Amino acid sequence: MRQFLYKILFIFSLGFILPQMVFAAQISFDTKTTQMQVGKNFEVILFVNTEQENINAFEGKVTFPGNFLDLKEIRDGNTIVNFWVEKPKAQDNTIVFSGVTPGGFNGRNYLLFSAIFEAKKEGVAKFGVNDARILRNDGIGSMAVLSITPFELVISKGSRAEISAIPKIKDRERPELFVPEIARDELVSGGKWFLVSATQDKGTGIDHYEIKETRQRFLGIFSKWISGEFPYVLQDQELRSYVFVKAVDKAVNTRVEQISPRNPLGWYENYENWLIIILGLAIAYVVKKLLWRKY
Amino acid sequence: MKVFITLFLISLISFSGVISSQFVFAVSSDITITGTVPGCGDGVIQSGEECDGSNLVGQTCATKGFSGGSLSCNVNCTINTSQCTSAPFGGGGGGGGGGYIAPVETVAVFSGRAYPKSTVTLLKDAQIAAIAIAGSDATFSIKLSGLSGGNYIFAIYSEDSKGVRSSLLTFPVSITSGATVNVGGIFIAPTIATDKSEVKRGDNIAIFGQSVPKGEITVVVSSEEEFFGKITADQNGTYLYNFDTAQLDMGQHFTKCDGAISFFNKAISFAVGTKTVFAQPVKCPAKTDLNGDCRVNLVDFFISVYWYKRPSPPATTDLNGDGKVDLIDFSIMAFYWTG
Repeated sequence: MRQFLYKILFIFSLGFILPQMVFAAQISFDTKTTQMQVGKNFEVILFVNTEQENINAFEGKVTFPGNFLDLKEIRDGNTIVNFWVEKPKAQDNTIVFSGVTPGGFNGRNYLLFSAIFEAKKEGVAKFGVNDARILRNDGIGSMAVLSITPFELVISKGSRAEISAIPKIKDRERPELFVPEIARDELVSGGKWFLVSATQDKGTGIDHYEIKETRQRFLGIFSKWISGEFPYVLQDQELRSYVFVKAVDKAVNTRVEQISPRNPLGWYENYENWLIIILGLAIAYVVKKLLWRKY
Repeated sequence: MKVFITLFLISLISFSGVISSQFVFAVSSDITITGTVPGCGDGVIQSGEECDGSNLVGQTCATKGFSGGSLSCNVNCTINTSQCTSAPFGGGGGGGGGGYIAPVETVAVFSGRAYPKSTVTLLKDAQIAAIAIAGSDATFSIKLSGLSGGNYIFAIYSEDSKGVRSSLLTFPVSITSGATVNVGGIFIAPTIATDKSEVKRGDNIAIFGQSVPKGEITVVVSSEEEFFGKITADQNGTYLYNFDTAQLDMGQHFTKCDGAISFFNKAISFAVGTKTVFAQPVKCPAKTDLNGDCRVNLVDFFISVYWYKRPSPPATTDLNGDGKVDLIDFSIMAFYWTG
């Protein structure tokens, strides 16, 4: 009789627990195989399933055994994350990430990012996610119930498992169109003018941004590009420069956008104009000399 | 000779001006916004329509000069040949000609209903991609070109005649390179506002906003129990619902509404108390607009990024008031995003 009661209680408790398990958002790993050979490269993909929740922010630390694996590359092309607060980066055998998708979304198997590893030695490589948070798109940033499925990979010297090659991404497309903006706020660098910009690349993902400020429109081609992160405090606080922003993807495709100066130089202040005038005078002088000799 | 030199200089300067003006305008947008064709979408070919839905009026890729592929109809009832394959142009006699493949464009077309003559803003990956004006019947259609193949998050919102914004409606879309994706049937939830921020118990509170013309609105007032009310919007889509607060307890309450075929808009709050306080019209987003430009966009995001994990952030950046800027603050900002 007592066993029967326990069974009934167990079934009832399942009834309470299961729906919560079903509706928990998930962060899961995916790879082509669970077996790997020493010396081979493989890709581990991190997905998110929202499970009926409308979510807009994610963060966590993907842990991997550094003694077994060598992290080669992180790919975030085609990610569901619109803006990275912390772009996925390696940090002491972890990959730290934090990002948002304004407006939120709801769905299954959306890519966060993927990582390419090389198997270094035999053993069982365990992957996990620490300090993970997924937040609801509810205006107060409440935490969604989250379940994480850890992942294990067996590395051996002579694995017979068929190991598929890591798909090479043929990325010939430039990063997406974007509109850089210049702004000023007392909250950033004591009210200095700063530059912000963001774009996506649907192939390999954005690698970095470069910025160029130049007061000369044409001779600016000789100015140097500076690798930068946003918010980028402008060097020319008088806003007399053309500002160019170059987005570079991981396949080195680039897209350059330009902001014209708010306070452009007067024609007499721009030495490009003086160069043109001097050049014109020199040509005129030469022509005059030639004509004088001829007649 | 002086005249010659002067003329030469003038031509040089004007030539540099021509180059510079071209240089300035070299950066252009690939976004095209098309208007809505009345009657389009009913499957019946009317004046000005090349096709309507699956009704292609007997046209095929072949009749359009292509060698094969499938012809389709855009949401604005124009023929879509993007899935047609091009025939190689024949070469000269004996030698065989060179080939030509027409460049295919990756396009997404968004259509649906907002509010009559309202501004509809389309965000692509959280940044403004296009702005269109809805017709007097509240329909809109936006065509976005210059896309790549891949996953996008599109979002759409509208602003009613009083400047009140709707909720952001988002939809992840996977786009194949060279294809045209039609996202139709977008119904933006009605806007909602109240005339009072606090109402004396027993007095009426006016709940109003804008929807589609003659749209049926369900107003929900959430308290310990929920109260439902139905009202039909007028020809301009505006609605007004007077709610008797005698049935509510003292304290904070929420109201929201939906437009029969749309999702619920985000709830707004009001208090029931001992006095009446009229609400001020709120056009700008609340505290998430850090630089006060009435938009929540990249500038606000990067102001927060600047203070992310820094000690003692300013109160304006710490949106939940927990003494730090972390993911929760970014989540709150993402909820109020306008692009």
